[in-house]
Amino acid sequence: MVTQDSKRTPKSNKTPSNQTQLSSENRNNNMSMISPRFKSVAAMAGWDEEALLLASLVVEDTPERLLKDKKRSDLNHKSPLNVSSRRKRRRSRSLSIPVLNLDEDEDQSTNTDTNHKETEKNKSDLTKTADDIPKEKENEESANCSSSSTFACMDRLKDELSCAICLEICYEPSTTPCGHSFCKNCLKSAADKCGKRCPKCRQLISNGRSCTINTVLWNTIQLLFPQEVEARKAAAAAVLNNRVAEKRKKSPENRMNTSRVSISNHANNNSNLNLSRRTRVSQRSEEARVSNNRRGVPNQDEDAALALRLQREEFMEIYRADSSLARDNLRAMARRAMNVPRNRAI
Amino acid sequence: MMNSSGGGGGRMPTSTATSSSTTSRSSWRSTSVSGSGKRIQKELKDLDSQPPPLSSAGPIADNLYHWLATFIGPTGTPYEGGIFFLHILFPVDYPFKPPKVVFKTRIYHCNVDSSGNLNLDILKDGWSPALTISKLLLAIRSMFFTPNLHPYNAVPSIAHLYQVDRKTHNELAAEWTFRFAK
Repeated sequence: MVTQDSKRTPKSNKTPSNQTQLSSENRNNNMSMISPRFKSVAAMAGWDEEALLLASLVVEDTPERLLKDKKRSDLNHKSPLNVSSRRKRRRSRSLSIPVLNLDEDEDQSTNTDTNHKETEKNKSDLTKTADDIPKEKENEESANCSSSSTFACMDRLKDELSCAICLEICYEPSTTPCGHSFCKNCLKSAADKCGKRCPKCRQLISNGRSCTINTVLWNTIQLLFPQEVEARKAAAAAVLNNRVAEKRKKSPENRMNTSRVSISNHANNNSNLNLSRRTRVSQRSEEARVSNNRRGVPNQDEDAALALRLQREEFMEIYRADSSLARDNLRAMARRAMNVPRNRAI
Repeated sequence: MMNSSGGGGGRMPTSTATSSSTTSRSSWRSTSVSGSGKRIQKELKDLDSQPPPLSSAGPIADNLYHWLATFIGPTGTPYEGGIFFLHILFPVDYPFKPPKVVFKTRIYHCNVDSSGNLNLDILKDGWSPALTISKLLLAIRSMFFTPNLHPYNAVPSIAHLYQVDRKTHNELAAEWTFRFAK
């Protein structure tokens, strides 16, 4: 053994480094090919690990005899643990560029909304390898893999990751017990309107309301298709805003309705009527309402004050034609209730 | 559930209706309509890029919810050589409710009633929102080869003739094809 080693070391030193790398990697593959169970059995039969590896190398069909020699020499040189650690290091080094890039993107995307758009741009650039390669410097590493194949790959991925109901990229995907994924909202409406069966395989699924987002899938989709996700997010936000605004508009008015019965029933009608009928106070109340909306959480005290003011205005409307005494009384009442200084009251 | 397709068919929106429903009160509704519109548009695009064999489909005029489909009778069937026109009507809540399919060309087939309504399992209870028009066209195509004889879907007299006297059935179907579909 020792003589062999001494013979072969110069040879192996001469060989280019990448070849030794390759051979060591191959060897590592062989290591992983031998299962621990097989190893233990071989040990029982009196084979040690080295002999096993040598045997596997002989079996392996390498075209060049020389290469095999090198492998053997390599084998004799280093302990397996060493090689594996080296291999790990090498792998991380060779892959470092794309991996780092992805990580960066992910970190940024989780940071804030302001950063988000920028990262979206970066990511979209990465995805659009086909046309942007010559212009962008960042994309040089992605140019290494053939752009057309990545493009086709992305198309296939898009197909795979799209929801069968809306036919778009899954937005907040939810996975059924039978393993099919749909947008959460699509699945909900499907369960509501078409019965609790999987749209794809018709297996019974649980209640659509209890469906949860498949986080891994959702994160993957967000990473792969940032543009589409962003577009849908914007659309969803718009819809949500619309609904929230509507609700907000309704809720304070409904509260007021409890105090004054005279006004007609529907909230939307109310707001319109209010606008047309009252000129001065309504303006202010509108403002207050808007500020409420902006702040998000409507303050209860403010609501009460608003209700009072509107109520007073209501009375003013009714008693405008009547004597000034009644009006004054009302004013005084309202002022007392509101604790508003005289000059600000109407 | 029995007449789910019929119920959906009763509320076919026009394209003008979808665009005009922008008042704040119907915002929820309008979003759902645009959802179905989006999906129909996407299906149209997919059909253009991958047209199904021996058939075509597309909207009539500018109404996205009203399509015309064309079928060429497959060879080896009594419908061979005929050209069949079908109307496809999408409900407002389309992917969740099945479209309604009506044969505009007369056809002697046990799954098509006298007024041209197509009775298929997948257009009724068997509908799933994951089904698309291209899949539906495929199902219709297979219907030409093997009719669905389930009493729930079939016109009894034609289905009976198909089972009892296939030759007469095929002759009749071929004659209808010659008379109406050529």
